[in-house]
Amino acid sequence: MKIAIQSLVFASLGALAVHAAFAQSERQPRAKGIESPGYVWNTPDQDLNRALGYKASAKRGLVAYRICRGCHLPDGYGKPDALYPQIAGQHPSVTLKQLMDIRAGRRDNPAMAPFVGDWIVTVEELADIAAHIKSLPPPANNQKGDGKNLAKGKALYDKDCASCHGANGEGDHKKFYPMVAHQHFGYLVRETRESRDQGRRNASPDMVKVLKGYSDADVEAVSDYMSRLSLAKK
Amino acid sequence: MTTQTLLLIAALASPLAAQAGDAAKAISLAGNLCAACHGEDGNSAIPNFPKLAGQQAVYLLRELKDYKSGRRQNEVMGPLVSGLTDEDLANLAAFYASQKPAPGTVTEPSLLPVGKTLYLKGNAASDIPSCESCHEVDGSGSGKFPRVAGQNVEYLLEQFRLYAAGKRTNGTRVMRTIAERMSEKETRAVSEYMASMP
Repeated sequence: MKIAIQSLVFASLGALAVHAAFAQSERQPRAKGIESPGYVWNTPDQDLNRALGYKASAKRGLVAYRICRGCHLPDGYGKPDALYPQIAGQHPSVTLKQLMDIRAGRRDNPAMAPFVGDWIVTVEELADIAAHIKSLPPPANNQKGDGKNLAKGKALYDKDCASCHGANGEGDHKKFYPMVAHQHFGYLVRETRESRDQGRRNASPDMVKVLKGYSDADVEAVSDYMSRLSLAKK
Repeated sequence: MTTQTLLLIAALASPLAAQAGDAAKAISLAGNLCAACHGEDGNSAIPNFPKLAGQQAVYLLRELKDYKSGRRQNEVMGPLVSGLTDEDLANLAAFYASQKPAPGTVTEPSLLPVGKTLYLKGNAASDIPSCESCHEVDGSGSGKFPRVAGQNVEYLLEQFRLYAAGKRTNGTRVMRTIAERMSEKETRAVSEYMASMP
């Protein structure tokens, strides 16, 4: 109980700190997500369609990527300790959907939202950025878990995840399914847990349904397994 | 290849070509209007006025235009540029961009390591991106992102204060978010580090 109260206090302090830090900022809008009745995943989005239809250039994207690389680094590796995801090699459809969801407020990310506003980057620049990110090679040295429950992680992944995210974690550009291979363990744990708990408000309801039965230990096991998937040619 | 084709290529290659100024045409204007505060060559010796020497021309022109339109508020600069034409502004931007920047003045060397870390790495604990991603590792800036190397510390501190308070709102507005997330010490330290850059 003591622990519970302590974490409650810490959580409130954290919320206060976040509130103070972002009180004056460029605020992220809030749009309806999975918590709202009638939510449909990936409904047609005008900006997203425009970005996907644009003839994007990885070369132009290198310039526009400046705004991203201050946190996600020039090679896209991110910062695992800060739970900044690695983004190198991600499908452009996935990158763009997530960017548009953050812009519109369907995915809460007050830390990042002020850097992707439409007053900073245009839809076309976002498309170029996504093309540049796709051109970066995914890292082999991404953060992994402790490796203790990989058999369980594999069983869960093969049963519940592989049908969409691919046997090797390759994802699916056409279906907006993220590549999960090469992703940092800590980020995978947070996002999987948040999806389960409906904190990731732009998650797919089909996925959330599957995750409902997952314990925290299950989430960690499957995340560890995903973090070890590799798309490198053997 | 005809001259016309060459001109066309030049025009297509550089959308800014049309507004690129002529530095030589700004010499007397700069001397009469700007030198008292910003120095003859744009290396202002007065700590709270920015150095302009070697500054990015694109950035200078944007700021001058924003002073003129009132998007950037400053009681001295606003009236001063109000009578100038867009051509004058472009010429001034070109003039100061072409001047040689003098080394900056560090007032608290003990803060330099903290400033360097923030400048190069950012601070993930408070979601602050690195400065170098836009302002370049050497602080020289690029296009609309200003040069910060060798800048006057007092001027930098004032800008961070204005950004954090939401009082400098022109440009990309990225700096407002960053300035809000920076601690007092980080603000001081990174300003010192910028001043220290050659």
